[in-house]
Amino acid sequence: MPESSEATITLAGDLHARPAGALSVAAAKFDAAVEVIVGTSQANAKSVLAVMQLGASSGQQVTIRATGPDAGDAVAAIIGILAGATKAGD
Amino acid sequence: MAANVGIVLVSHSASLAEGTAELAGQVSGETVTIATAGGTDDGRIGTSLAKISRAVQLADAGAGVLILPDLGSSVLTVRALLADPDDLPGQIVMADAPFVEGAVAAAVTAAGGGDLKAVLDAAQEARHARKL
Repeated sequence: MPESSEATITLAGDLHARPAGALSVAAAKFDAAVEVIVGTSQANAKSVLAVMQLGASSGQQVTIRATGPDAGDAVAAIIGILAGATKAGD
Repeated sequence: MAANVGIVLVSHSASLAEGTAELAGQVSGETVTIATAGGTDDGRIGTSLAKISRAVQLADAGAGVLILPDLGSSVLTVRALLADPDDLPGQIVMADAPFVEGAVAAAVTAAGGGDLKAVLDAAQEARHARKL
């Protein structure tokens, strides 16, 4: 059974184009399949357009769920990006 | 670290190509070479085989080059270039994709280390991406 991992963060800023791009660039470096879940919507983290389409905004909870050999590292990396990148306000 | 796929934006307008490259570069973290070929050789609206050829040379880092045209004769001019590939670097493909969304998706996928097929797929999947 593949490894899976999940974590949730409350956004400190909107998930605009630049943080969405950073998230997708990071996700692409892992073998694991990574999903970004906001409310009832979910997107493939490796597709920047899908992540932007979520329209996640400040104060919303975002869950990162990964499945695959490096799922834990993928979730940690992406939560780290969301914690840092959405503070800049762009 | 292996080279990233390079991207060439071909537009009738130099400022449209440069602005799109600026946006895609920012979103993808400025780690991918995005070269532009906008307008004619004398600065009018149109396309230039020579500009596209130079941009391809600039964008090539050994991992292939994705060319994204805006409209109409951009496609025809790129096709003319690709029909005579002797002077061009290795792998070059043209994407059938919306200009802004395709550029952003391609740049992000290239920045993540995607190969030429992955970058082409990302650009072309942008045709199905909804904004709303």
